[in-house]
Amino acid sequence: MKKVEAIIKPFKLDDVKESLSTLGVKGLTVTEVKGFGRQRGHREVYRGAEYQVDFVSKIKIEVVMEDELVSDAVRVIQEKAKTGQIGDGKIFIIPVDNAIRIRTGETGKDAI
Amino acid sequence: MTSPSDELKNARSELVSLFSAGEVSETFQENYTEIIDHYFRRSVQESEAGQKLFRDKKPFAMVAVGGYGRRDLCVHSDIDVLILFDSKVPFSAKRLAEDIFYPLWNLGLDLGHGIRCIKDCLTLASENLEALTSLIDARFICGESPLYLSLTERLGKRVLPKKGLTFSRWLEEQNQMRMAVFGDASYLLEPNLKEGIGGLRDYHHLLWLTKAFFHLRVPKDLEYSGVLSHKEYEDLESHLKFIHLVRNHLHQGSARKNDRLTFDYQERIAQSLAFQDLDGLLAVEQFLGQLHVSMASIKSLHRSFLFTHFPGSRRNGSDLVQPESLRAPFHSDQGEIHFPSATAILSDPLLLLDIFAEAAKAGLPLSLESKRLVREFLYLVDEPFRTSKRAARGFLSILNAPNAFDVLDQMLETGFLCFFIPELEPVKDRVQFDHYHLFPVGRHLLQTVRHLKTLHQQRDILLADIFLDLHDPEPLFLAALFHDIGKTGKDHAAKGALLIRNILKRFGYDRKKMEDVYFLVHHHLVLAETATRRDLNDEKIVVQCAGRVGTIERLKMLYLLSWADGRATGPRAWNDWIANLVLELFFKILHILEKGELATPDASRRVRQSMQQVRKQIGDLLSPAEGEAIFEVMPPNYLLETSPRAIARHVTLFRRLREAGSKGLESAFCLEAEAAPASGTYDVTFLAKDRAGLFSDVAGVMALNNINILSARIYTWRDGTAVDIFTVTPPLDPIRTEEIWERIKEDLAETFRGKIPLSERLQQKAKPTILFRKNTLTRQTHVTVDNESSDFFTLIEVFTDDRIGLLYQITHALFTLGIDIRIAKIATKADQVADVFYVLDLDGQKVLEEEKVQRIRDVLLQELSKS
Repeated sequence: MKKVEAIIKPFKLDDVKESLSTLGVKGLTVTEVKGFGRQRGHREVYRGAEYQVDFVSKIKIEVVMEDELVSDAVRVIQEKAKTGQIGDGKIFIIPVDNAIRIRTGETGKDAI
Repeated sequence: MTSPSDELKNARSELVSLFSAGEVSETFQENYTEIIDHYFRRSVQESEAGQKLFRDKKPFAMVAVGGYGRRDLCVHSDIDVLILFDSKVPFSAKRLAEDIFYPLWNLGLDLGHGIRCIKDCLTLASENLEALTSLIDARFICGESPLYLSLTERLGKRVLPKKGLTFSRWLEEQNQMRMAVFGDASYLLEPNLKEGIGGLRDYHHLLWLTKAFFHLRVPKDLEYSGVLSHKEYEDLESHLKFIHLVRNHLHQGSARKNDRLTFDYQERIAQSLAFQDLDGLLAVEQFLGQLHVSMASIKSLHRSFLFTHFPGSRRNGSDLVQPESLRAPFHSDQGEIHFPSATAILSDPLLLLDIFAEAAKAGLPLSLESKRLVREFLYLVDEPFRTSKRAARGFLSILNAPNAFDVLDQMLETGFLCFFIPELEPVKDRVQFDHYHLFPVGRHLLQTVRHLKTLHQQRDILLADIFLDLHDPEPLFLAALFHDIGKTGKDHAAKGALLIRNILKRFGYDRKKMEDVYFLVHHHLVLAETATRRDLNDEKIVVQCAGRVGTIERLKMLYLLSWADGRATGPRAWNDWIANLVLELFFKILHILEKGELATPDASRRVRQSMQQVRKQIGDLLSPAEGEAIFEVMPPNYLLETSPRAIARHVTLFRRLREAGSKGLESAFCLEAEAAPASGTYDVTFLAKDRAGLFSDVAGVMALNNINILSARIYTWRDGTAVDIFTVTPPLDPIRTEEIWERIKEDLAETFRGKIPLSERLQQKAKPTILFRKNTLTRQTHVTVDNESSDFFTLIEVFTDDRIGLLYQITHALFTLGIDIRIAKIATKADQVADVFYVLDLDGQKVLEEEKVQRIRDVLLQELSKS
């Protein structure tokens, strides 16, 4: 089981979400996040005064899935989230030990 | 015979089922109170311990207190009751309590009880103000009535006179606490029916204060004693009825004492109350709208009452204003503005607006009486009133005043605002049943104004700076107050823009400023929508946005409006995350507008015109859809800088290229050369699928064939087509030009296949010979790398002496550095060259790393110093 975590541009959320569910991903978590990567924060000057813009607003998607799905999921996220421009984001793949559905107590594959 | 508790149980469940069937909706509290009273009467009578107490000359009285005392029992309200003894509570009272109270607990009712003597009650009341309020509501049920009378008399004579001021101050504190904890129920979408501002508690406060200070006994006395007018009392009664009804449904639906009307109950209750979907308004939205009206009315009554009768509760500072600063004919009394008389209004109806203008100017509120008069004379606000110059002037002065929000609030509350601007009426109470909008529209509009008026209190200094920079904030305030006026259906921004034009025409408003307001209303969603739904790194998106905005002044107003609108909608509509995106868009548009080339109204007009001409010229060649798709991939600066004739030509070449591409000829290209006799130069057009190094190859082949590039404009269309337009010196041999262009094409094809080592060949060619002497007038070469000027590209500027193959040298060096040239502006003046390249790295990103920037500079300088 893996957790696929993707930081993407906000306006790409719908595309990514849609293609993931077509793949058979059963649920995902979406968070509005702020941060910076190569894009860095930057300074804006307005009438001589400087305003530091430290972070860039992004969307974080988290999906836990079976190993077989991971390569397809990564492929569609990359396909859909890509604009070729700066700040398209990143995808992380993280091993997951186990999952438990709180309501039923099911574990592992059944719980995702 | 059934026991008292069984009787109570049956009667109660019968009453509740009647209520569910919609039978006793208005009298439920009365009926329920009666059932409980009956229980106490019977159980006292039938209690062995109770009768013994009477026989032992230890009489007592059953007293209902709190809500039960007021006969306001809802389905799951607490039942607060007191067993009152004269001077001492006898030991056997415990038995009595067991007889009377235990069965109630067994039934699962929430019982609050006390067993006290009169003196203890009074001590408690003077120590604990909450206990005092519950005793103020005391009502006799059964037993020894003189005990009850003695309690209320001593409460009125000994406790209240001493506690009066503390009591009213305590209530004031309670109000502040309620505001902080429960918020203003008269516009919250999940209001607390009891404790929220505008909730039942407001009414309780009013009752307590009148009972404590004016010695009123029952609610009806509010009218008899003249505290409220007949109409006010009638309104109060009907609003209370409605809120109680809702509360009963809520208690029943949630099966517990619950006063917060959360989303999950609203639809069901709206249905129970027979609201129906109508005119695009959901039943639940209408229900909530009506509830807000009721709560706003109670809030307003409560506030005015406090203000009139308890001046101590007034906000600080209002007594600083000098009464003489008021303009005639108004006067102030205790910090409130009064009409001279009712007849004055009849002879000059515009006083109805003047009084608000005066309130804005003096920073004082209208008195309760003044508000009453405004309500009464609303019918005088007719068409001549609305179109009068004086009214328009007065209204604008209110909107421009620092305390506009408070005054608009009173205008809304008295109904004046909707009479003066009838367009507001259909949207005022409109509620949107979602988690996004926190307020009904009317309230939301006022909140938007409030946010703009309190900009200076924001931590964000940028907002305040932008605001201070505005030449004239009036259009912004107007737009803030009216931006959602079209919210009667879909596409509310466009609808609202038309409405606002009518309103402002009625005012005789300045034409130019009217267009600003129209623009702001029409586009008030553009920034937030673009920022969250579109790619802000796509130059075309930002340029289009900038084109719509047009001027920097409008951009500033639009930004402030987006911010205030978002803030006034709710935390889901506006948070740091969204603010960040909108700010980014704001600056990008600002930069484009400041540079002024792409987004001026003139530029967008020229682009539109040129697109039209292109359509005309190629109309029969492509379907309209195909044509639009091609326009869509053309970058804004290309559209602006290229003539319609040339664009049409490029489209033809583009299609030819695409055909070749579809046959798998990836390295296909088109080259056309055309003499420009006037200047003695040639115009060369080159199209190919873009790749890194393409431009340097073309420049190299030209140099190889003795063609000197005088200027170049290179564009990359959004589908990855490179379109390069060169102005070049003519081929050396004027007779064989065609042949030379053909050779250049061949060389290009060879080069693309990797068959010609351009660098080597050019180096050889550039070697000084007897024929070409090395230029000795070498000036300093400059290279700058600029990441500030454009939000989308890194700019590399090169100033150096012209020489054969120079462009190839530069562009080839950039290619080897992994730099992709997206736009190039080549200009040669005499021997001096100033080239500007708009570049990205191979990942499509600006070149931001300091090391890489340094390397670009070093490599270029080194390369250019070679010869």
